[in-house]
Amino acid sequence: MSDLQKEVTNLIYRESTLLDRREWDDWIDLYTEDAIYWVPSWANEEETTDDPELQLNLIYLRNRGGLEDRVFRIESRDSYASVPLDRTVHVVGNVLVENENGDEVEATANCIIHTYGKKGGLTRGSLYDFSMRRVDGELRITRKKITFIDDRLEGPIDVYHL
Amino acid sequence: MDGSIVENPVSALVDDRMDEGMFRVDRSVYTDEDIFEQEIAKIFEKSWIFLCHENQVEKHGDYFWTEIGRQPVFVHRQDDGSLKCFINACSHRAAILTPFRQGNAKTLTCRFHGWSYKCDGACIGIKNEEPDTDKSTFDLREIARLDSYGGFVFGSLSADVPSLDDWLGEAKSWIDLMVVQSTEGLEVVPGSPIYAIDGNWKFQAENSVDGYHVSTVHRVFANTIAAREGKGEYTGIKKTEAGRMAGGVPTGSYDLGNGHMAVWAQHTTPEVRPIWEQKERLERDLTPAQVDWILNKGRNLYIFPNVMLMDNPSTQIRVMKPISASRMDVSVYCIAPKGESDTARAGRLRKFEDFYLTAGMATSDDLAALEDTQEGSLATGAKWNEFTRGMDSIIYGPDKEAAALGFNPPVCTENWDHEIHYHGFYRQWLKMLEEN
Ligand code: FES
Ligand SMILES: [Fe+2]
Repeated sequence: MSDLQKEVTNLIYRESTLLDRREWDDWIDLYTEDAIYWVPSWANEEETTDDPELQLNLIYLRNRGGLEDRVFRIESRDSYASVPLDRTVHVVGNVLVENENGDEVEATANCIIHTYGKKGGLTRGSLYDFSMRRVDGELRITRKKITFIDDRLEGPIDVYHL
Repeated sequence: MDGSIVENPVSALVDDRMDEGMFRVDRSVYTDEDIFEQEIAKIFEKSWIFLCHENQVEKHGDYFWTEIGRQPVFVHRQDDGSLKCFINACSHRAAILTPFRQGNAKTLTCRFHGWSYKCDGACIGIKNEEPDTDKSTFDLREIARLDSYGGFVFGSLSADVPSLDDWLGEAKSWIDLMVVQSTEGLEVVPGSPIYAIDGNWKFQAENSVDGYHVSTVHRVFANTIAAREGKGEYTGIKKTEAGRMAGGVPTGSYDLGNGHMAVWAQHTTPEVRPIWEQKERLERDLTPAQVDWILNKGRNLYIFPNVMLMDNPSTQIRVMKPISASRMDVSVYCIAPKGESDTARAGRLRKFEDFYLTAGMATSDDLAALEDTQEGSLATGAKWNEFTRGMDSIIYGPDKEAAALGFNPPVCTENWDHEIHYHGFYRQWLKMLEEN
C-alpha cells in the first residue's frame, strides 16, 4: 500500500471513528475552514440532484460553519431529534485514491452505517467522494459529497447517520 | 341486521361541548386500525385529494404517479393539453403502469405481459390477442373527478363531491398568495425527498398548523441560527430568519371551513426573504393587503385531508400518504416562482434545507416530537387530547387581518398558540366518518 493510500485511508477511517465516538470537535478539525459538505437528494429513482446551488439537497453546507451549526445543535441537548442520541457504527471500505495533484487529493469510499435508536436497528449505505488538501503536512478534508442511497428517509438524519 | 339504529361509535371520539368550554379528541383516533380503515374509505376515497402541481406534468405524455388514500393513480398530460388521471394498475393483472414516479410516455406499455394503452387510457394493444376481443372493455379506469386550482391538481375517486372551487372555499385566497408570486407561474425545484413517519396522518395535519410548538421544538433552531449569524456569516438573503420563533410577534390561526386550517406569524426581517426582490412588482400588481400578507406574514396552510402549503422560511408543498394508523409517507417539494433570480432561488433552497427536511435542523425535531405523540397515544389510561387553548378569545368570522385580505374564516383567534382552528378539522373529520 502506498503511503498516500495509507494516509487517505486513515483519514477516512478516523472521520468515521470520531463520529461513532461522538468526538465532534476533533471530527470538525478534519475539515478545512472552506470545506464543502454536500448530500444531494434524489431527483428521481436513478439520479441525484447535481447542481447543489440551484437544486434541492438533503444537506449542503458551504463551509465548516455549517458543520459547527450541527454540532452546536447536538451539544445543546435541546434538539428533540438528538436526545437521546442514536448510536452509530460506520464501516468504511473500498477506499480508492482517484487523483493526486500537488497538495490536492481526491478519493472515493463506501460506507455501511448501522444505526440503533428509537426505531431499533437500521442499516444504510453511503458513497463518499472526498477532496483533500495537505495543510501543514497533514491531509484535511476540503469537500465531502455523500450519496446516501436511501430516498425514503426513515427517522431524522444528521451528520452522524450518513 | 335487525334494522335497529346503531349509533356510530365514532361520534363519541370527539367531545365537542363548546357551551361548556370543552373540545377534546379521544387518542384512539391516532392508533385504532378500524378507525383508520374508515378514514381511508370515508375520507381519502370520498374527497378531493391533492395529486401534483401542473408543473410536474407540463408536456404531452408527462405522467405523475401518486396515491389517493392507498390506491395508486397517475396523472397524464393529454395531447390536447388537458389532464386525465387513471387508476395506476394494468387492466389485465394489475401491474403498475408507470415505471417511474414521474416520467414521459405517450403510450404506456405494461411491462408484465405487454398490453398497451394510449395517453387517453384506451387499451390499444393486447399481445397475442385472441379473436373477438373487445379491447375497449380493458380501457384504463379514469378517476371520478379531476380539477385544478392555481396549478394545484386535485382528484377524487368519488363523483359525489362539491366543485373543487367550493371545496377549497376560504383556502383559495391563501393559495392565491402563492400563485401570484410569479407572473410566469410556479415550478417544482428538482429534488423531492420522501420521509416515512411512525405516526398517524392527523398528527402531521395538526403539526403543520401548530404555532404553539414553535417556541419550544424550534428554540434550538433559532439558537443555532443566532449563533451562526453572531459569527458574522450568512448575511442578506442567506440569513434564515429566526426572530419569529422566539415568540412575541403578531400571529393568528384560522379554521377555514371544510377541515382546512391555517396559521401565520409576522416576519421580523422580511427583507431576507427570497420574495423580497419582487416587492416593487408585487406592489404594482396586487392589493396592499396581498402584498403585506405575502411579504410580512409567514404562512402555513393545511388543505383537508392530505396537503400543506408552507410559505415560511421557504416555500413548500408537503403531501402525506396514510399507510396505517401509525404510519405515513410524506413527500416534500420546494415550489418556487419561475423566473426568480439565482440568488433568490439559492436562498430559498438553503432555507428549505436548513429547516424543512428530516436531514435539516427543524423538521427533524418535528418528526421526533410527532413520533413521541404517537407512542404516547397508546396510553389509553389517559384518553383525551384537549384542544381548548384560546376558548375565551374566539372570533366568529374574520379578524381584521382576514378582512383586509378578504377571506371569511368561520372561526379564528389572533394567536397561533391557540388550538381553536383544530375544532374545524375534527368536526369535518367526524362529519365524514359519520356518513354511511
Ligand atoms: S398485467 Fe399488464 S399485461 Fe398483464
Ligand atoms: Fe415545527
